Amino acid sequence: MTADNPVFEPRIIGFLCNWCSYAGADKAGTAQNLYPPNVDVIRVMCSGRIDPQFVLKAFEQGADGVLILACHPGDCHYKEGNYRAVQRYRLLLQMMESFGIEKERCRFDFVSAGEGDKFVNVITDMVNTVRAMGPVKSPV
Amino acid sequence: MKTGVYFCKCGTNITEKIDAEKTRETLVQHYPGIHFSAVDFMCSEEGKEAIEKDLVANGVERVVISACSPRDHETTFMRVLSKAGLNPYLMQMVNVREQIAWVTADSSKATEKAGRYLCSAVNRVQLHDPLEKKEIDICPDVLVIGAGPAGMKTALSIAGSGRKVVLVEKSPVIGGMPVRYEELFPNMECGPCMLEPLMGDLLHGEYAGNIELLTMAEVTEVVGSYGNFVAKISQKPRFVDMHTCIGCAECIEPCPVSATNIFNYNLNERRAISFPFAGALPNAPFIDEKLCISLKGGECRKCQESCPVEGAIVFDDKATVLERTIGAIIVAVGSDLYDCTKVPDLGYGRLGNVYTSNEFERIMASNGPTEGEIRTVNGKPPSSVAIIHCVGSLDPNHKEYCSGVCCQYAFKFNHIIEKKLPGTSIHHFYKELAIPGKEEFSLYKHARSNPHATFIRYGDIRDLSIAGDEAGSLVSYRDLYGKSGSIKADMVVLCPGVVPAAGSETLAAVLEAGQDSSGFFEELHGRLDSAQSKIRGIFLAGTCQSPMDIQKAMNQGMAAAGYILSGLVAGRKLEIQPVNAEVDPERCSGCRVCVAVCPYKAISFDDEKAVAMVNEVLCQGCGTCVAACPSASIKGNHFTNAEILAEIEEVLK
Repeated sequence: MTADNPVFEPRIIGFLCNWCSYAGADKAGTAQNLYPPNVDVIRVMCSGRIDPQFVLKAFEQGADGVLILACHPGDCHYKEGNYRAVQRYRLLLQMMESFGIEKERCRFDFVSAGEGDKFVNVITDMVNTVRAMGPVKSPV
Repeated sequence: MKTGVYFCKCGTNITEKIDAEKTRETLVQHYPGIHFSAVDFMCSEEGKEAIEKDLVANGVERVVISACSPRDHETTFMRVLSKAGLNPYLMQMVNVREQIAWVTADSSKATEKAGRYLCSAVNRVQLHDPLEKKEIDICPDVLVIGAGPAGMKTALSIAGSGRKVVLVEKSPVIGGMPVRYEELFPNMECGPCMLEPLMGDLLHGEYAGNIELLTMAEVTEVVGSYGNFVAKISQKPRFVDMHTCIGCAECIEPCPVSATNIFNYNLNERRAISFPFAGALPNAPFIDEKLCISLKGGECRKCQESCPVEGAIVFDDKATVLERTIGAIIVAVGSDLYDCTKVPDLGYGRLGNVYTSNEFERIMASNGPTEGEIRTVNGKPPSSVAIIHCVGSLDPNHKEYCSGVCCQYAFKFNHIIEKKLPGTSIHHFYKELAIPGKEEFSLYKHARSNPHATFIRYGDIRDLSIAGDEAGSLVSYRDLYGKSGSIKADMVVLCPGVVPAAGSETLAAVLEAGQDSSGFFEELHGRLDSAQSKIRGIFLAGTCQSPMDIQKAMNQGMAAAGYILSGLVAGRKLEIQPVNAEVDPERCSGCRVCVAVCPYKAISFDDEKAVAMVNEVLCQGCGTCVAACPSASIKGNHFTNAEILAEIEEVLK
């Protein structure tokens, strides 16, 4: 935040699984449903691929927030990758705590291929939350 | 490395929000040697041709495609790379249309974001490995486990294509359950009549030569994977040579040993040498070695002496273990009924005139224990029958699901009882009714129009209790609306839920195929892929996957056959996609976490070398094991740690 830029614009990384959440983001796109540009998307085939080190790397590189979006329970294209992602997310929150990063900066949610509107809401809400929090105080 | 960025304008869909020139400037600023080319419609024939030529003319070694969603056109542009002589995996696609241009209000913000994404992709694509699709030889032959309607239909469809089918059946008889039913819902078609042409084709038809039928046999071991399985099959001795025996039944009567007939639920007797029931196919009896005097070491040759054919009775027949190589396996082992003794108040197993639906089917069958006559234990026709629906179904204390077939056969029973014993009172106790389908309602309608039929809806099976003796039973109830009463019933028929067949767990373990929470074989996807298991190359058909009627079982069998006929073709190799996981044996610590997390059982453990191994036929490339590996010794091809980290690093610069 500077005098020239009074509003803090957070940088957020969104990890999206290919089959549901990424498709949900595409759905928002085809509906031309506008949302803030603050979330940069990294596509992985499955949320089960999301290694906690990716999230920590994002914070280390200056991200103010991270979103992990997965298929709804029972909908995973690879059967159970999203359950693994949830397990790792819980672990991740503990790791973040030890690094002094507020847990609100990393959010996990389920977005299906049909939920373009939900995708927009999750993105918008996350951007607003992190914007209100300001930049990360103790970088990784 | 010469990197080319191809920027699709998509008419004005992209350029309306993203400034191509500014994007180029951003790229050049970060990557001075970059080759940038903007194309009008890249997915058009002209567009693809232009990229192909440009790739060749400029000696491009790495490619970034800036266009629409990779879910739309990634494969399109991968093909363009291949045509230009480049490995198609040396490409990264950036979705600037759906995820930037169409969703960002401010065009300068959109252009900035596109610049970040493209720089990130350029950074990532430098690390891409040229991946090659592998091909392996396959065996087009198929193992079908279970010779009920689904298994038979599948076996015939596959055999008809000229392939070899090994059809393994646990019992001495084929046809599954419906062949034991005199009449079938919804049209009162005769079960054996419907299935006999199918069984005839299987045993003696044009393609019967392609089918190796192994009765009294079970699959005990399976190794390998899709395309190349090796199965071990244990076959019990039948003591009758099926190919020599003419099925005349001369041997049955002289046999001096009698015991209850399990094929008729012990409702009548059979001999040590017997047919499971009249008309059972294959048309050859079998000898029960636990009953036969001769096989127990005694002196008796009565069956052999009465046999008109030499060599049909084989006392020295032995159990054998056969080994067969196949490319795919279809599980069609059927199901059982819920154990009614778990609802003790209904008196099953305790009261003489309380039967399960399967027992009642045999009572009604002309080749059954009473030759189709409905009689109580004292041999009298019942004047009233109670039919208890939903036994063990829709109940958190038993099975929570609806089996979907019980209503239909219960109203079929109503129809048959009325036909055989007009005027009999029939009392339906039901919890729910589920009768969807274009033909299925007629039997229910018919039952409703029967003046001797009553319908009582209960809320909980614990609100029913049956007491009585051989003379008859008394069904006491409290209905859904709280009204209590009792009804005299000379005979009670229970309609239990459909449950996984005994032995499903053992077979699932042999195949490493999963079971769902109810114990049924678990499908890959409930609606899209219910004919496939989670293990590639293992298919499911019929009630082993879920309760279903004959129509669905047949269709599922055909679907499984279709998958195999199109996916496993003789002379064609099986393609293995290269986006999969790879273990570095030098780094692997042998912790086996990956083995546990793989949803496809694609990772096994080499005990000798103490390292994990990925079966690339089974691996689907989800990357769950890559993220789980604590020693970072699994590489997720095309989504490596280094590639993803490079993407994160650059996008945040």
